[in-house]
Amino acid sequence: MVADPGPRPAWSQQFAPEMLQTLTPVPPLDRITPEWAWGGSEGEDVKVAVIDSGIDADHPAVGGRVSGHVAVTDGPLGLLHDFEPHGDSYGHGTACAGIIRSIAPACELYSVKVLGSRLTGRGTTFTAGLRWAVDNGMHVCNISMGTTKKNFFAVLHDLADKAYFRNTMLVTAANNMPNPSFPSLYSSVVSVASHDGNDPNVFYYNPAPPVEFGAPGIDVRVAWADGGSITATGNSFAAPHITGIAAKILSKHPGLTLFQMKTVLRALSANMPRE
Amino acid sequence: MSSEDRSREEELVRAREEISHLKRRLADDRFAEDLRDALTLVAAAGAISSPLEHSRLLEMIVETAAGVLPSRSAALFLLDEEAEELVFEVALGPEADEVRKFRIPLGHGIAGLVAVSGQPMAVSDAAKDPRQAADVAESVGYAPESILCVPLVHEDEIIGVLELLDREGAPSFSAPDMEALGLFANQAAVAIEQSRAQGNLSALLGGVLGSLGGMPDHRIESLREGVEPFVAGVEEGASHRRALELAELVREISHRGEEESKACHTILQGFAEYLRSRPRPEDEAGEMW
Repeated sequence: MVADPGPRPAWSQQFAPEMLQTLTPVPPLDRITPEWAWGGSEGEDVKVAVIDSGIDADHPAVGGRVSGHVAVTDGPLGLLHDFEPHGDSYGHGTACAGIIRSIAPACELYSVKVLGSRLTGRGTTFTAGLRWAVDNGMHVCNISMGTTKKNFFAVLHDLADKAYFRNTMLVTAANNMPNPSFPSLYSSVVSVASHDGNDPNVFYYNPAPPVEFGAPGIDVRVAWADGGSITATGNSFAAPHITGIAAKILSKHPGLTLFQMKTVLRALSANMPRE
Repeated sequence: MSSEDRSREEELVRAREEISHLKRRLADDRFAEDLRDALTLVAAAGAISSPLEHSRLLEMIVETAAGVLPSRSAALFLLDEEAEELVFEVALGPEADEVRKFRIPLGHGIAGLVAVSGQPMAVSDAAKDPRQAADVAESVGYAPESILCVPLVHEDEIIGVLELLDREGAPSFSAPDMEALGLFANQAAVAIEQSRAQGNLSALLGGVLGSLGGMPDHRIESLREGVEPFVAGVEEGASHRRALELAELVREISHRGEEESKACHTILQGFAEYLRSRPRPEDEAGEMW
């Protein structure tokens, strides 16, 4: 947890001449190309949290490289964070990690396991896992899940805002069910649904959010439990495509803010006319 | 089966015919939209939202789902929250008769994942790696090729999962299929919960009485004794619906949060105390409810 900085008298001090920070320039929108955005990048030094059912590090699609583990459980003694390595009995988190790895092979994967065999406290463990990721310097979080429980609306909203201000990019799968789910409906996250293409670098921008991006998520060949693989459909598998692309961009252009990332992704989307 | 149930079955048959008609009439690219219309029609016919015998209702849900999205087989599981297991309830398909009732502990498998994550999922080559769908294979007695599994969600809570297996007329289940089955599952979950509330009215009232504090045990016991005849009475009478509405209201309020639950409890307790202070119902000629 980061210490509370205490009350601030005013925010204007940021803009005093001696305090002003010089910004890194970004090219004009029409000069943003895939080459500028991620050419030569494999996602080096970018920390990517997969908030899910765990990651099977030994799965060939993951390649034995998981930089950190935290498994959150909710028991009679309250919330527990276990940092020992864990696996993935469902395969869902491994599927997401495999997709991210295929796009950004050098990124640092962190497995934040919040889905186990327990039903109680699902919203609580999910929130705690996301909080851990935001508080521990993750650059991108892949959230191919969410909660429909309305009593988590406010706490997740706060957490998503905190992530936004810290430049932790939350990439969320839109709910496949016609039920509102959080955090995918917030403007502070990048919400992703499926399109039926299979080029991992092709994604679309939707000018009528809440779902802002479309990425491959239909009949995608993904890693699964027990070292296996399946061909699966679900927005869960679309989100990791955007996560992987974001990791490559952030590796080449560290410090881009979330609104810049959204602008860059929009400029690179396949439904943007190009010369 | 009562004549009311029969007429609902007829309505369902009519709705099904209407669905087939709709599907024939409309072009492929409007498929998802058409299915949505069809499902709305089923719901409007009241076929799945009327009080029916619980097991018959579950069968009808599975039959309707497999009829609207033609599938070789289908299965429905309900969640046993306490045991953290999925309980297999109904299967439909060529080998369905051979399937025994069984339970799947959560923690693995596609049905387990959908129940825990609340996210639907489709798999199009399950038979290639039969380990991945072992639970599903057990539910219908053979290893399916394609699977579509959606959660049954009622008031934010997952109460089970609905699975369709081996899409007929297409190589696998599509994204519009997933959306259509998701809409249907929402409707089905409401019907299941209403049916449960009906079956469990006595249990529900027993629970409400049990939570009343500050009253001697023998008084609670005598109120408990009154529950069964009370439930039998309301189930026969025209006031049945009101009792169900009350049960649903209590359930809804208790889902809102602790404060709301406490307020509801206080009001019910106050009302119960008022009733206790009056002569017992059998002393009066009036209606109980």
